Amino acid sequence: MSELTEVVPPKRKLKVKASSTPDRIFYGIATAAAYSTIILVIAIMFFLSLRAWPTFEKFGFVNFIFGSGWDNTLESPSFAIGPMLYGSFLIAALGVILAVPMAISIAYFIEFMAPKPLAKTTALLVDLLAAIPSVVIGLWGLSIFSPVGAHWGEMLHDAFGFLPMFENDADNFLRTPFIAGFIVAVMIVPIIASITREIFSQIDQDLIKASLALGGNRESTFRKVILPTAAGGIVGGVLLALGRALGETVAIFFVLNLVFDEVNWFRIVLPEGGAIASLILSKFAEATADEVSALLAAGVVLFAFTLLINSIASFIVVKAQPWRK
Amino acid sequence: MSTAKFYLESKDINVWFGERHVLKNVSLQFPANEVTALIGPSGCGKSTFIRTLNRMHELIPGAGLSGSVYLDGNDIYDQEVDPTTVRLRVGMVFQKPNPFPTMSIKENVISGLKLSGRKAEISDDLVESSLQRASMWTEVKDRLGEPALSLSGGQQQRLCIARSLAMNPEVLLMDEPCSALDPGSTRRIEETILELKESMSIVIVTHNMQQAQRVADKTAFFLAEDGNPGRVVEFGDTEDVFNKPVDPRTNDYVNGHFG
Amino acid sequence: MAVDLTPVERPKSAAPWTKISAQSKTLMFLASTVPAVIYLALLVVNNFDFMSSLLVVFLPMQTVASALVGLKIYGRRGILDGLLVVATLFLGSFVFVLLVSVLWSVVQAGFATLSPQFIYQNDVYVTPTTGLEIGGVGHAILGTLLVVGLSTIITVPLALATAVYLTETRGKSRGLIRTLLQAMSGLPSVVTGLFIYSMLILSGFTSYAGWTGSLALIPLMLPTVSRVAEEALRLVPAELRNGALGLGASAWSAFSMVTLPAAKSGLVTAVLLGVARIIGETAPLLLTTSLANKTNLNLVEGGISTLPTYLYGYVSLGYDTSIQRAWGAALVLLMLVGILFVAARVASSTKSAKKRK
Repeated sequence: MSELTEVVPPKRKLKVKASSTPDRIFYGIATAAAYSTIILVIAIMFFLSLRAWPTFEKFGFVNFIFGSGWDNTLESPSFAIGPMLYGSFLIAALGVILAVPMAISIAYFIEFMAPKPLAKTTALLVDLLAAIPSVVIGLWGLSIFSPVGAHWGEMLHDAFGFLPMFENDADNFLRTPFIAGFIVAVMIVPIIASITREIFSQIDQDLIKASLALGGNRESTFRKVILPTAAGGIVGGVLLALGRALGETVAIFFVLNLVFDEVNWFRIVLPEGGAIASLILSKFAEATADEVSALLAAGVVLFAFTLLINSIASFIVVKAQPWRK
Repeated sequence: MSTAKFYLESKDINVWFGERHVLKNVSLQFPANEVTALIGPSGCGKSTFIRTLNRMHELIPGAGLSGSVYLDGNDIYDQEVDPTTVRLRVGMVFQKPNPFPTMSIKENVISGLKLSGRKAEISDDLVESSLQRASMWTEVKDRLGEPALSLSGGQQQRLCIARSLAMNPEVLLMDEPCSALDPGSTRRIEETILELKESMSIVIVTHNMQQAQRVADKTAFFLAEDGNPGRVVEFGDTEDVFNKPVDPRTNDYVNGHFG
Repeated sequence: MAVDLTPVERPKSAAPWTKISAQSKTLMFLASTVPAVIYLALLVVNNFDFMSSLLVVFLPMQTVASALVGLKIYGRRGILDGLLVVATLFLGSFVFVLLVSVLWSVVQAGFATLSPQFIYQNDVYVTPTTGLEIGGVGHAILGTLLVVGLSTIITVPLALATAVYLTETRGKSRGLIRTLLQAMSGLPSVVTGLFIYSMLILSGFTSYAGWTGSLALIPLMLPTVSRVAEEALRLVPAELRNGALGLGASAWSAFSMVTLPAAKSGLVTAVLLGVARIIGETAPLLLTTSLANKTNLNLVEGGISTLPTYLYGYVSLGYDTSIQRAWGAALVLLMLVGILFVAARVASSTKSAKKRK
């Protein structure tokens, strides 16, 4: 009778190996393509930083990012993106504040309220809105919405002008951060709505059944079960939309009055604002050599921020739903 | 059957899904303070029937129903009866434990009160007594603030029972509550059921015939033959149904000739 | 004991929970219509400003009406329920209004500009004040087709191969690549333009040209096509692939003969979505291709106009006729996007239709 040994043979290295030439080529091409992605991202970061470096070197990171004033005179140029950087965030925040209630409402309507055919049609309309190119929304924003937005700005000023937020001493309500924020909202509503819809539809039906079996009605189930469960994912979606809003270029350029010398902190119905992407667009055509480097530096800063926000967004979505199997 | 007044009673319940007739003329009486088991092969309509008792059936798209369910003499399907009020008196525990993941253990226990707008009844005493009645107070009393998902499967199911108990229902419906659990947890829940029947009626759907014999006072045997709708073939004291069944099909089922 | 086992036809009244009393029905009807009617009447008579009165007059009235009806039918808890309905419908309808406004303005203003000549002519003889009878977007349409076409030709194989890498191989870099693709999808479009500009044009390698614009669009298209293609490949059931491998097929034959045909409609959708993503992009093209009035079929040399840059150019001019031309371009662009949109829907429903068979 043989002995039963207790020794476990060493673990084998199981590898998926190409067994033939066609397979080798197959895997080879796939791998090469995938690695080109890595190369592409590295190339982007490298080239931008390379050309942007002189600006950072000359003015210093802090001065460039937080200072103000854009002066491209050849003898003593001075570039800083403070008002633009802040402006980008202000407009993106306005966009998010305006978009979130609309987006969550319509997502709730589609997933929980409307009968099937109506829900499908509404979902189609939301997708349609998402498909409209931002340059077209920019044109609409300039021609059609700006007068309306200016009118609303004026009304807000008349009614609530004692609040610093609605101050306006220019007697002109066009080309304000408020209008830019509203247009950005139109663009990001479909993004937030789609993500929210998906999260709503993925909520375990058992939880909703449990809530109803305990005597919950539509409103209490929404408030105490659906929203808390979806909250993490919705926040992630909002951050993604924020990233998109920061990168919006042409539409904001059409409707906003860019002011480079000082930051407009909160007077949203005043025609002064900033946005980095629009800065790049507006100064690009006639830029001096130093200026081009500065514009690239601005692009690097923008990229860094959107990268950061997107990463936080992914992180939050994963973290906020630990019960996801 | 005796003429004693029944707390919960179904009369000629018929169920359709779309055009398909799935339950025919189910008339059962559920006495107070007793446990009634619903047994039968898969797909014969036991779970569907139990959902008609707390008006959860109508949430399924295409659901159809005729007949009545009397709770303390009143038909719960009368016009203008708010289904949420029915569910406050007839609680339900599901097959798969479903505690609310965003809430702690304590919050789960009182979740029903919050969801149904009965916040005034919330108290620590209620939390303790509900968990005690579900036989899990000693296990969790020091960690009430921990997330509900940190509990094991069996504990989660007992948490769901505690959650339903906090509503102080008169009837508790249980849809195969132990089928997803290990034998140890199953045994504990069966013990809990026997304790609970002192204060309420319990209707339990189960695939496990030994379980029915262990906990139930009365048993109803459901069967759906040859594409026909499901019906109750036999209903009576558990002992009689299992040891002296009247209908040959009941005899076949309880002796394991088909499953 | 003969018991009738047979199924019975479902009676008309088999949903007792839907029977709402006449009183409740009337109340609900009144609550949905009366505030609106009163508001419209007040609006017409008093000539209020629309938006502010909507918020200050209509919304409170409707809220109160819905809350009262909720209270009457469902008791105290019906109040919040009614409020939820009002909030959802009110806010949700805003989205609808915005969509209609955008689409309607494009159709209305664009249609006025549209004419056969507008579609095929270019703008060589057009000055900022020339009437609309002369000139058109012909060159811009061709430009879009060429620039986007080149991007697509380069990106699609790259993206599909990457998707294959992510699904078929056991490479160790898969997580990294997915993260990088995610990062790439967050890239602001103006930054990709800057990248190509700094790498190719600033360095003197080339001057403004169509192909540089195509390159600038690649980082914007790649993540989208790759992601959707990966999903499409993943959806192919493992049993199909395993069946082929079990028969002794090599990885490549299993892929080409089983996985690929099964994922075909999903991959088509991926490409269409990618094209739709970049067809409206403006900023990258503004930094790399320069506008041109004449028709330029040469992607290697010379400025080339595309629909989005055409639109931008004319909006920047600011004259009435230029804005009208911009609207015309917007409508043409929207129609192209619409075609892609419909095509993508058809492609993905082909997939589900096939599954049903």
